[in-house]
Amino acid sequence: MAEEKFQVIIIGAGVAGSAAAYRLAKAGREVVLIDRGDTPGRKNMTGGRLYTYALEELMPGEWSDAPLEREVTREIMMFMTREDSVSIDTTLSSQKQQSYTVLRARFDAWLASKAEEAGAMLIPGSTVDGLIIRDGKVAGIKTGDEELEADLVISAEGVNPIVAERAGLIKPVNVKDVAVGVKYVYKLPEQTINERFNTVSGKGTAMLCVGECNKGISGGAFLYTNKESISLGLVVDTHSWKESKLPLVDVAEELRQHPALGRYIEGGELVEYSAHLIPEGGYKSLPQLYSDGFLIAGDAAGMVVNRGFTVRGMDYAILSGIAAAETADQAIEAGTFTKSFLQNYETKLKKMVLKDLESFKDSHDYIAHTQHLFTTYPNLAVDMMNHLYKVDGNPAKKIPGIVKETIVGKLPYFSVLKDILKGGKSL
Amino acid sequence: MKKLTIDERLSKNRFETDDHNPHIVIDKDACKTCSHRACTYCCPAERYKWDTANDKLSFDHVGCLECGNCRLICERLNQGVPGYSWNYPIQGMGVIFREG
Ligand SMILES: Cc1cc2nc3c(=O)[nH]c(=O)nc-3n(C[C@H](O)[C@H](O)[C@H](O)COP(=O)(O)OP(=O)(O)OC[C@H]3O[C@@H](n4cnc5c(N)ncnc54)[C@H](O)[C@@H]3O)c2cc1C
Ligand code: SF4
Ligand code: SF4
Repeated sequence: MAEEKFQVIIIGAGVAGSAAAYRLAKAGREVVLIDRGDTPGRKNMTGGRLYTYALEELMPGEWSDAPLEREVTREIMMFMTREDSVSIDTTLSSQKQQSYTVLRARFDAWLASKAEEAGAMLIPGSTVDGLIIRDGKVAGIKTGDEELEADLVISAEGVNPIVAERAGLIKPVNVKDVAVGVKYVYKLPEQTINERFNTVSGKGTAMLCVGECNKGISGGAFLYTNKESISLGLVVDTHSWKESKLPLVDVAEELRQHPALGRYIEGGELVEYSAHLIPEGGYKSLPQLYSDGFLIAGDAAGMVVNRGFTVRGMDYAILSGIAAAETADQAIEAGTFTKSFLQNYETKLKKMVLKDLESFKDSHDYIAHTQHLFTTYPNLAVDMMNHLYKVDGNPAKKIPGIVKETIVGKLPYFSVLKDILKGGKSL
Repeated sequence: MKKLTIDERLSKNRFETDDHNPHIVIDKDACKTCSHRACTYCCPAERYKWDTANDKLSFDHVGCLECGNCRLICERLNQGVPGYSWNYPIQGMGVIFREG
């Protein structure tokens, strides 16, 4: 039986949930943050890099002690075939502290502790298994034999939002709107990482690869340098993978074996192997974001943009957490938790998160349906470089000849032109 | 680089195993009529295997990474038809990511 009633209960202490709890606690509200992990972060995984503008928005000037790994100062885009690779290596020293690599076990525990310090009540190790719904209004949550009541419930339960789905508050996630990611974390001495990536402590590299690694399926591999470890992983479209019938576990292993990637983790110690889904449907798959007594934020609401060369979900999770908290705060002030009042949440989101999601609404379709991106183009890039650098005693060719030799017969010109035009509009 | 089996990979993780309450339930006999058996090649932890000797699916919830991929690629798990259900483990049980 319910004993106490809170103002707000938040399901999930990922970045979205903890951001919302932090803001509400700062506003002096009674907020409960529940997570299924025995400590927040222990169920979570990301690539990944966090764009710090969102942290600054959440807690201006207060995140200097956040457990961030390395500031990303080097970006590598790699095309690979079975044995070879071509990379575009970019250093952007002009961009200051734009993004940092993160490991979620540490980062989420820190963010949740910030919310706790601000006055939120954290209940870890509790899986929410249902909602209390009274007269059509969400009135609390159920976990095990316990019930907790609140004026408002915020679902920040991540990419498998089964609590919200089963209560009929959102449409179920469609298999075509997700990708699956697997990741290896390799421990290596800080100095070794610095040397391998030609950098200094505190500075890091983000690398994205397409080609052989994802077997022509929409997706790609990623590599991020952390302080004393390297995150190496693979993301592939769930539905296309199902159609492909390829063994995911074996393909994930091939990733480590690829000479262009394997050399970075050589000699390191594998410390973790994880998997997680990514919502990829974007704007077109957004669920209903608010109901009587209920808001939904972050991955649970599908707020991720995948443009191929960047995946952004954590920053949108934080921003939507902030918007949910502000809406909840206003609702408490006004003493009303109706669907029509909570519509403010969407209005707030439209200024930022939803605007981006809308701008890139075609990027998922583009990426998922542009086969050449994952097969033809990586092959071409590698072939072309192969020709350019080839010295075998045969008569040398001039560059236009090489280009012609590389692409003749391999490229359906019209579809390439179409890809470029559509890509320009979608990405 | 030495190839790692899935068990070698999973052994690097920490698990708080709940032997008595599998959080994912399937009906191995009913699975015989499944046309795609996508769980056997889409699970990143290879928890589902087709046991050819007995012509039956084998499934072990221990070692599950709780990603949810099987919930989406298996229509029966997705719709929760009788004999099939997908839930997160209860009260802090299951995988514990120390890196993330
Ligand atoms: C491989 C991969 C690479 C990525 N790379 C990047 C990247 O580089 N940059 C980026 O910005 N984003 C990236 N993303 C996306 C990003 O990780 C997510 O968008 C982000 O973590 C979403 O945060 P969230 O708080 O909404 O959800 P989550 O972080 O998933 O948090 C959900 C929380 O809810 C809890 N929970 C779930 N259900 C229940 C329940 N029933 N009861 C109690 N608690 C529950 C969980 O334990 C968890 O703590 C990547 C994702 C993946 C998988
Ligand atoms: S996909 Fe589902 S129904 Fe098919 S074999 Fe696997 S668990 Fe059984
Ligand atoms: S949740 Fe993920 S790891 Fe667990 S059994 Fe399903 S697909 Fe495999």
